[in-house]
Amino acid sequence: MAEFTLDCLGEACPVPLMKTEKKMSELAVGDVLIVSIDHSCAMKNIPEWARKQGYNVEIEEVDDGEWEVVIEKTK
Amino acid sequence: MSETSQVSSASSIRRSSASSRRKPKKNQIPYGILVVLFMVVVGVVQARRDPMLGFYWMMGCIFGFILQKSRFCFTASMRDPCITGSTSVTRAVLTAFAITTLMFTAIKYGYHSMGLPIPGMSYVTPISFATAVGGILFGIGMVIAGGCASGTLMRVGEGFIMQMLSLFFFVIGSLVGAAHFGWWKEKFIVHGPSVFLPDVFGWVGAVVVQLFIIACLYKAAILWEEKKMGGNEE
Amino acid sequence: MRAVKEFFDKLAKNETYVKIFKTPFTYLTGAILLSIFQVVTFGVTGEPWGVSGTFANWGAWLYRLVGGNVDRWYYFSSAGAQAVLDRGFFNDPGTMRNLGIIFGALAATLLASQFKIKKIKSKKQVVAAILGGFIMGYGARLAYGCNIGALYSAIASLSLSGWVFALFLFIGAFFGSKLLSKFFM
Repeated sequence: MAEFTLDCLGEACPVPLMKTEKKMSELAVGDVLIVSIDHSCAMKNIPEWARKQGYNVEIEEVDDGEWEVVIEKTK
Repeated sequence: MSETSQVSSASSIRRSSASSRRKPKKNQIPYGILVVLFMVVVGVVQARRDPMLGFYWMMGCIFGFILQKSRFCFTASMRDPCITGSTSVTRAVLTAFAITTLMFTAIKYGYHSMGLPIPGMSYVTPISFATAVGGILFGIGMVIAGGCASGTLMRVGEGFIMQMLSLFFFVIGSLVGAAHFGWWKEKFIVHGPSVFLPDVFGWVGAVVVQLFIIACLYKAAILWEEKKMGGNEE
Repeated sequence: MRAVKEFFDKLAKNETYVKIFKTPFTYLTGAILLSIFQVVTFGVTGEPWGVSGTFANWGAWLYRLVGGNVDRWYYFSSAGAQAVLDRGFFNDPGTMRNLGIIFGALAATLLASQFKIKKIKSKKQVVAAILGGFIMGYGARLAYGCNIGALYSAIASLSLSGWVFALFLFIGAFFGSKLLSKFFM
């Protein structure tokens, strides 16, 4: 049950998604990854990708145009 | 495993660290309304000079609004299948192709059946080696620059400095492309055929063939996503 | 002043407002709405939507600003192209549409309270933006357009060139993805 963060602020699509995908593959089941993004497309495509993988996803708007996507690796 | 994940997906994920919310968010709606007012003023001023200027401006504003709201991205439609295997944007683009194919053809056929010249035929362009080179260059460019032509404009509006830079060099690239255009035209483009599908299949045939191709690609997109992403789902 | 602020804060939480202006539309909604206005554009002007042809004109105007002359280039040699260039920036419909896209996106972002200036993070992004922008511009001229003119509008116009362009665009996107993961991540 470890928690990791991934700072993708300032990264353009599709880099945040690619980094998230890579990082998630390194995590163990039960771990949580928090991805910080400010790319408006990533706030749609990262949660979508994670849901399709079957992970638990939450998205939080932390500031104007800034989000944190919280992904729990469920399997 | 999968059952618990299904159940818990609605509930909150436990996280040890607090959310990094630093300050209360500003409400930007008033600024948004000011921009909308500005759009109306520019639209009226330009329309009084020439109705077409006002109309193009209005269409641009609407396209920009829709592109941003839906995060519609032609780049993602080509790129995501390569990267994650997701084809949701690809399928949306195919849907847009299908709708416009039907509507455009109705308009074109309308003109044609009244004996008028068919509009928009300047978009039926020659197919040559230049199309291939242009397509590949554009494809690489849009992926690394993080946006195609419409996507770059939309992201400039969203405040991305990176895309402002990319837009500037898009313009420079266009200028250089225009400078070399004569050479490409003479060497390749003049030898390339322009194919208007109704000339080959007839009006009905062209629509049927094209919709069939779109349907096949749509199905292929679904299968591709299942193959690339579905393995993890169960 | 306070009441105004309260009004906007209330508006930001209004269910209908959130639905229309805050939550993103689905990709499918986007596809349908764009298609409707693509058809309106075609119906009214007789020309489908295009974006990148205008960028070549912007380039020509920039070139003129620094003392260059494009009048003898084959690309700008037609009477139509010359007329567009002579009319100037603010009298060009294509320019108005491209600027409109920028302002439309800006309005959408502000109305969702999500505007933020996104600074460039690394040198890699600078290289990617310059290189990517440049080859997009160059490629679009060879292919008679971009993802809008040579793809979306060409396919809608039942032109085979749209499909050929789509194929090579996809090949390019494939190589672009490889390049991106190798050099720009």
